[in-house]
Amino acid sequence: MSLARSRILIIEDDRKMSDALVSGIEAAGYDVRAASTAEEGFFLVHSHQPDLLLLDLTLPHRNGLEVLQQIRSEDTDVRVLILTSHNAVEDRVEGLRSGADDYLGKPFSFPELMARIDALLRRFLPPQMVSPLVVGDLALDTKTRSASRGGERLELTAREFDLLLYLVENRGRTVSREMLAKDIWHETSRFTPIDNVIDVQIARLRRKIDDPFAIKLLQTVRGIGFSLREPHS
Amino acid sequence: MRAPLSTSLRTRLTLWYLTVLALLLLIYATFVFAFQYAVLTRQIFHDEVQDAVTVEGLLYFDSHGVLQLQQDYYSRPQSHLLIDRLMEIRDLSGKTLYRSPTLGGMPLGGPLKNGEGDDGFNERIIRLADGSHALIISHIHTMQGRTMVIRLGYSLAPLRTRMLQFLLLLLIAIPGALIVAGAAGQMIARRGLRPLKEMTARAEGINANNLHDRLRVRNTNDELGQLASVFNHLLQRLEHAFQQMKRFTADAAHELRTPLASIRTVSEVALERAQEPEQYRDALAGILEEAARLNETINGLLLLARAEATEPGDEQTVFSAKELVDEVLSVLGVLIEEKHIAILQDDESIAARTTRGDRALLRIAFMNVLHNALKFSPPDSVLRISYSRSADKVRIAFHDQGPGIAPEEKQRVFDRFYTSSSQATVSGSGAGLGLSIAKLIIDRIGGTIGFEDSMQGARCVIELPLSG
Repeated sequence: MSLARSRILIIEDDRKMSDALVSGIEAAGYDVRAASTAEEGFFLVHSHQPDLLLLDLTLPHRNGLEVLQQIRSEDTDVRVLILTSHNAVEDRVEGLRSGADDYLGKPFSFPELMARIDALLRRFLPPQMVSPLVVGDLALDTKTRSASRGGERLELTAREFDLLLYLVENRGRTVSREMLAKDIWHETSRFTPIDNVIDVQIARLRRKIDDPFAIKLLQTVRGIGFSLREPHS
Repeated sequence: MRAPLSTSLRTRLTLWYLTVLALLLLIYATFVFAFQYAVLTRQIFHDEVQDAVTVEGLLYFDSHGVLQLQQDYYSRPQSHLLIDRLMEIRDLSGKTLYRSPTLGGMPLGGPLKNGEGDDGFNERIIRLADGSHALIISHIHTMQGRTMVIRLGYSLAPLRTRMLQFLLLLLIAIPGALIVAGAAGQMIARRGLRPLKEMTARAEGINANNLHDRLRVRNTNDELGQLASVFNHLLQRLEHAFQQMKRFTADAAHELRTPLASIRTVSEVALERAQEPEQYRDALAGILEEAARLNETINGLLLLARAEATEPGDEQTVFSAKELVDEVLSVLGVLIEEKHIAILQDDESIAARTTRGDRALLRIAFMNVLHNALKFSPPDSVLRISYSRSADKVRIAFHDQGPGIAPEEKQRVFDRFYTSSSQATVSGSGAGLGLSIAKLIIDRIGGTIGFEDSMQGARCVIELPLSG
């Protein structure tokens, strides 16, 4: 992770969820604190000055939206990502209108949360050197929309190229089916037919980019999704 | 007149009925009274005219030149015409020539008017000095070269007394009639509404536990019978919906419990004693898969609730069915390619017709139906999509070459969480909700979905309302 240790505050009353998030996000190289009540959260917002706040909307005594509104009224410079089980479109709109930067419905997949966190923190940092889209001997060229492996050109359909590009951009980490459904198929949620489509599409991609080669780059992470990485790295 | 709303229907009906009756009786009484008065007055006038003619023949001047009335003429001297007659005769200068004793010296009317009695009888009502009223007539009479005006009349007092009695009679009779009619009205209304009371008592006793109870229908042709029938139909639909909900809740609990059970067992086994990291990883992945299944079931249930809450007319857009089918086919494209299924579309010109509804929901419906058809299609088979139209519907038939659906399962495949015994190939999560979601969505926009008989494979037919 090329970012400086960004500070993240989690306000979440469910202890198990909170613990899992802390350990998962810490493992990704962030400085993480957790609060289980709104009051504790306010205190940490001021003392810890996080760059990003992960906010649960259903807190004891106080609605998460009130917390958000107060933080916004104080003009604190912090990005806010709402985590909630209220998934209706209206809830989403209300959250964003109250000043949240992003909104993720529970249950979410952890890789998706990490992708959102990275995106939110990156969005406000100076643009970095665009690293070449390469995984092992697999290389992508977005200008010509072509892919090659070991110098050999791969014949990909448009959808396969988009999928591969997404996997390459997220190389080294796991991409969940939810993320693919939303970002590649532009479906609002994951459901049985789309799961099947994703699985078949991944199988076809694998046939083209991995089957002819000895080193397999596209891994299935059982229960979570898929990951593009060099096996030994 | 507005009866307070708190009174019973029976009382209100009776009150209305009585009000109308009272009004009618009053109008009737007024009319009868006026008619009677006019007839009697007319009768007096006729008597007076007749009397005047008679009197003319009985007048004479005696030797002193005084006007006299011959008194012994009447065959019936007791006639009230004679006894009650008021008469006064004046010459044209206004001098009174004769005045009947019945007048008691009072003049009969004021001074002579110009031309009084010249033409006709000038009947009129005057007021005498003693305050009583009389209906009088005037008539010109010439006798022995002298012209005179005969004024003749009768007092109206007896007539008025009689009319007053008549009025009193009417005023006593009307309230009496109203009381009798009111009592009868109450009784009739009570009899008429008795079934309603019974229905109320019975309906009060119906609750979730005895929704199968029905109201008794006495007569299917009268209004109350119809009400009872309608109520029974409502109860039937309620009972059906309630049963469905009960079954659904049980099914949902089962559907949620199954993955929960495996999560629990897998976790417990994994924690029982130390294991290899690979085994832990396996257990956790299994748990995640079950969690995904739980989530998908919950999403399906929420989608059902959302579809259930839509009313026809909500969030409607107009779009072509063909375009929607093509969009779904393109999303499912890899599945079609992977199985080498050929898609044949017929009569696409019909499909260009537009339909209306919540497009996002309909897209899910088509996605589920097509996915289902593809799932059961064998590799290298044909999926035929044909369009046709009836009066105000567009029909879309999806005909696959899969194993088909047994006749007795054609309805049940749309039941929530239904998994067919012959369709044992149901794969993974969210199973059993796809077709019921599709059916609910299509039903809600006024369409239909069902499986038709076919020689081979399943033939799913969807009818959607045309957008006009």
